[in-house]
Amino acid sequence: MTDAFVQKVSDPKAVLTASAPGPDSSEGMSYLDSLPRRLVTLYLPLGIILAVLLFPFYWMALTSVKPDEQLLDFETYSPFWTWNPTFKHIYKLLFETDYPLWLMNTMLIATCATALSIAASVLAAYAIVRLRYKGAQWVGGAIFLAYLVPPSILFIPLSTVVFQYGLFDTPFALILTYPTILIPFSTWLLMGYFKTIPFELEECALIDGASRWQILTKIVLPLAIPGLISAFIFCFTLCWNEFIYALTFISSTQYKTVPVAIVTALVDGDVYRWGSLMAGAMIGSLPLVILYAFFVEHYVSAMTGAVKE
Amino acid sequence: MTDIVLKSRLAKRPIQEPTAWDRLKVNKNWLGLWFMVPAAAILILFLAYPLGLGVWLSFTDAKIGRSGVFVGLENYEWLWDDSTFLLSVFNTILYTTVASVIKFAVGLYLALLLNERLPFKAILRAVVLIPFIVPTVLSAIAFWWIFDPQFSIISWSLKKMGLITTNIDFLGDVWNARWSVIFANIWRGVPFVAITLLAGLQTVSPSLYEAATIDGATPWQRFRFITYPLLTPIIAVVMTFSVLFTFTDFQLIWVMTRGGPVNATHLMATLSYQRAIIGGSLGEGAAISTAMIPFLLAAILVSWFGLQRRKWQQGESND
Repeated sequence: MTDAFVQKVSDPKAVLTASAPGPDSSEGMSYLDSLPRRLVTLYLPLGIILAVLLFPFYWMALTSVKPDEQLLDFETYSPFWTWNPTFKHIYKLLFETDYPLWLMNTMLIATCATALSIAASVLAAYAIVRLRYKGAQWVGGAIFLAYLVPPSILFIPLSTVVFQYGLFDTPFALILTYPTILIPFSTWLLMGYFKTIPFELEECALIDGASRWQILTKIVLPLAIPGLISAFIFCFTLCWNEFIYALTFISSTQYKTVPVAIVTALVDGDVYRWGSLMAGAMIGSLPLVILYAFFVEHYVSAMTGAVKE
Repeated sequence: MTDIVLKSRLAKRPIQEPTAWDRLKVNKNWLGLWFMVPAAAILILFLAYPLGLGVWLSFTDAKIGRSGVFVGLENYEWLWDDSTFLLSVFNTILYTTVASVIKFAVGLYLALLLNERLPFKAILRAVVLIPFIVPTVLSAIAFWWIFDPQFSIISWSLKKMGLITTNIDFLGDVWNARWSVIFANIWRGVPFVAITLLAGLQTVSPSLYEAATIDGATPWQRFRFITYPLLTPIIAVVMTFSVLFTFTDFQLIWVMTRGGPVNATHLMATLSYQRAIIGGSLGEGAAISTAMIPFLLAAILVSWFGLQRRKWQQGESND
């Protein structure tokens, strides 16, 4: 602690530059803490929390590549590592079950529902923020309230509605009901983005004779691309994650989505089922994790944006 | 040259009075209506209508495949004397309270840690959020395996350390099962709380802490009198969402215990699924769902006032 301080004072240039407004990577006040202190108060708790957060994934991945004889025998083999990984479970999952079909279903339903929701939300958000028609603020408030209606109080009446409309046990049941979760969220998020686009740009376009539709497609949307990506990623994740509607509205195995199919179709009495179950859970999460890895910033801004707005 | 262009334009298009159609085309209310149609159609057909229908169903004795007749408050009277329902209300409140409080405490702590100067900060932040990305059902299956009665890795590790002698029956014992599902819920919820609070923390100016440190404030005082007051509005919103989603949780419980053992982990949502979809009594299930609405409204009110407060704190008018 003192060393760092002395070093700073002995080099007046460093003090001057340090006080200048710099990027966020500046040292700040952290030089007041010594390394051993930081080890105990910062790195140790952080390490413990991270280990707890990540252990289930490690265990999932490890179980899915363990050979059967090591799966349940913790005494002869160390449970935390395996020297002869096998792709047996993954192979079984991909070629002996309907898993690829379920993946395709999930992908299809998530993509369609997300595209539908984003299209509807762009129009709604633009109208609320920029057209400012009579009562737009009230509609904005109502959409926020719709965001707070959870699926678990809607699924019972929705199942009768879906049945009435003749959608029961078809992918359309999910493609049309998922937007009830997604539209409120993405409208709210896009409203925030549209508000940041200068109104003057639109005024110029209006003077030049552009219609509202042209303004939306040629000026607002290109400027709101980061917002659109955020909304897309978040909606896609929500679709992939959804469980209760898919469990209630879909009964035939060939239309099921991954989360539902794993729980209902993959669970059998086999003692060694854990291998293929874990493989299923891992492969089911991979597309989302990969997508997330590419768009972390967008995802975080979607999550925090929806809360902050 | 401009003259020519102008002349030809003028010649081609004589000035005309805008027709009623032209006026309508630029009318904000008319345009706004059309822009709202797709979103409104979906939200009314699949959200507002079912919401009303759910309340109506709770006053009928509808079964699957048979539309019921109005029976007044009979479903609610029946539920009032139903010990399973009362147990599920108790479970839901316990689950929500314990999980939310711990999620808040650990989430805030994690956010404060991540707000420190750290190497690989961006990567750490990305990694922390992974439990929130992975579909709940899939991580719940992993927890199901971790909490296996015979082959639990936790039991094995504790036995190796000599802390216990027999396997812990995580999901078979009443209270063990409750704590296990609460733990899984906390595990999944902490990243959300931490990352959103971190976004709030990053907006707090470091000069406030520097000034307070010069004035001799202890770390606790800096947290109590700078961080906490500035963070209150975002805490209100985040915790409202967290409470809302914990209260209406379904997936985790359904995958890990299906409400067992002896209904010890049944939440209101899982009980309504069991009664309405598996048991077939739509009316009774709808009554259980409708009974969740008052709690929901309370959460929404808290969120609303949290948002209002945030606006005036920033010096904006309430629009």
